[in-house]
Amino acid sequence: MALLEVKDLAIAVAINGRLVPVVRGISFEVEAGTTLGIVGESGCGKSLTSLAIMGLLEGSQVRITSGSIVFDGQDLLALPPERRRAVMGADMAMIFQEPMTSLNPVYRVGDQITESILQHRRISRAQARERAIELLRLVRIPDPEGRIDSFPHQLSGGMRQRVMIAMALACDPKLLIADEPTTALDVTVQARILDLMKELQAETGMAIMLISHDLGVIAETCDTVAVMYWGKIIETAPAAELFADMAHPYTRGLLASIPVTDREVDRLEAIPSRVPLIGETVTGCAFHPRCGRARPVCADIDPAAIAVSPSHSARCHFPGEDSA
Amino acid sequence: MSFLHSVRDIFRGRAMGTAGLIWLCVILFAALAAPWIAPFDPLDIDPVNRLTEPGWPHLFGTDHYGRDTFSRCIYGARMTMLIGLGSVAFALVTGGAVGMLSAYFTRLGNFLMRGIDVLMAFPALLLALVLMTLLERSVVNTIIVIGIVYATTTARILFGMTLKLKREVFIDAAVCSGAGHGSILFRHILPNLISPLLVQASFIFAFAQLQAAALDFLGLGLPPEVPSWGNMLSESRIYVTRAPWLLLYPGLLIILSVFSMNMVGDAMRDSMDPRFKDDIAGV
Repeated sequence: MALLEVKDLAIAVAINGRLVPVVRGISFEVEAGTTLGIVGESGCGKSLTSLAIMGLLEGSQVRITSGSIVFDGQDLLALPPERRRAVMGADMAMIFQEPMTSLNPVYRVGDQITESILQHRRISRAQARERAIELLRLVRIPDPEGRIDSFPHQLSGGMRQRVMIAMALACDPKLLIADEPTTALDVTVQARILDLMKELQAETGMAIMLISHDLGVIAETCDTVAVMYWGKIIETAPAAELFADMAHPYTRGLLASIPVTDREVDRLEAIPSRVPLIGETVTGCAFHPRCGRARPVCADIDPAAIAVSPSHSARCHFPGEDSA
Repeated sequence: MSFLHSVRDIFRGRAMGTAGLIWLCVILFAALAAPWIAPFDPLDIDPVNRLTEPGWPHLFGTDHYGRDTFSRCIYGARMTMLIGLGSVAFALVTGGAVGMLSAYFTRLGNFLMRGIDVLMAFPALLLALVLMTLLERSVVNTIIVIGIVYATTTARILFGMTLKLKREVFIDAAVCSGAGHGSILFRHILPNLISPLLVQASFIFAFAQLQAAALDFLGLGLPPEVPSWGNMLSESRIYVTRAPWLLLYPGLLIILSVFSMNMVGDAMRDSMDPRFKDDIAGV
């Protein structure tokens, strides 16, 4: 059984008392020790999915309307809050997009790390501090004994993201959810943070769910990839297979819109038009108004996931076809 | 040491604030050492020497019962400090709790903050008068009433700041690490509110002194036998033409203390809020 199983998860936002669907029934699995990448443009529902898994939607305008999230054999949506808190931070941890604001400015970084350790482990403060130094060393922060007493504003963005990762790893989680962990960082720092995450995965055997809009980041780090568009997973495949043979026109469009350096390109390909608005109704395939291979059937019937190969499926009536 | 350092940082280059702080230290010393530095018992009646002019041995003269005004002023500092600190503590604890809880638990907040809105609809002095008429005149009741009046503004300010703080990513990160409501409120949100609370405290302290003096003057604050600056003003107002020093000295003390506290509050706010930094504003 997979470590994390999300089934038919649907999330809606309450706008003026009306529930507007944002995530429209997505299912995916994360196997222990592997990396799943979720890719899609802004507003496709990828972050909401991660927040739903971490239980951060409580008390907001956003509701989970159906589906289940089973982690390590436990249905998270059915757990009482105290049991859920025991899972969060211990077996499952998250790092965020903004390393600048994800650390509490009034605490020394060491205190923040020991805090999350003490929340879950019955050990003394001194032992927790030892562990915090060990974690800072693990995330390759130079001089961890000195850095542990720094305040967040004394650290650079990359350093803070390393501290966040150290905090997330404090209790040896089985699953690390990383929501755009490198988006706010310089490209050079990005690569080092991604490498660090891969190395830590190899050392600890944790699974990673990486959320990004950056296909390059996904290609570099993930075992499996799920592409989201307008609240649905439109294509999913092992990374190598996906990048070798993209079946969905949207995935191809995403790749074509990335600048390449190995050949001369005059203009970047853009996907025409725009994503339907939240709450807009689209009949048939949500992508058909922007799709080069759209035919009459696309405007009428929303395609089901079609298997391109045993491990590769796409929601398209004409998977793999070249665009007209 | 670090406390002394931060005090030095706050007051360095801020002459008015420093002067205010020194004056408040004098008042605090007078309050603490009143029995040893007051030349007379503040309650001792001496009908022979009633309404004597300032001089020796009665530095500030005597009142209509012949009580020594200087000694009463020194004991009055005690009341000022007691009422000030007491109402600050009451206002910050109750107002802070209401504001933070309201912002954190929004459903409770809709209910509590409407109550605060109702209280804020009354002018501060009027609200204090209404509450005081319902209660007996005593030190504790005065502290509670003034505390309630300023708890409303504290609740408003902390409500807004907590609303903003609870949406910070580091709060999400704390939730993710398994922190419960109590831990998030007190360990993650509250420490971020310390500096606005301190600034708020300094202004409440100043207003509480004025408010207490006004209540005393209207005969609704401390019991009449208690030597407080407000009571002294109240009792001697009919002698204003014959013995104006009876109003002069307590009046001056009230003005100086409130002014000093405001200057200290300004200095604290300026040093903590970068938007008010003197060197940037060019003031």
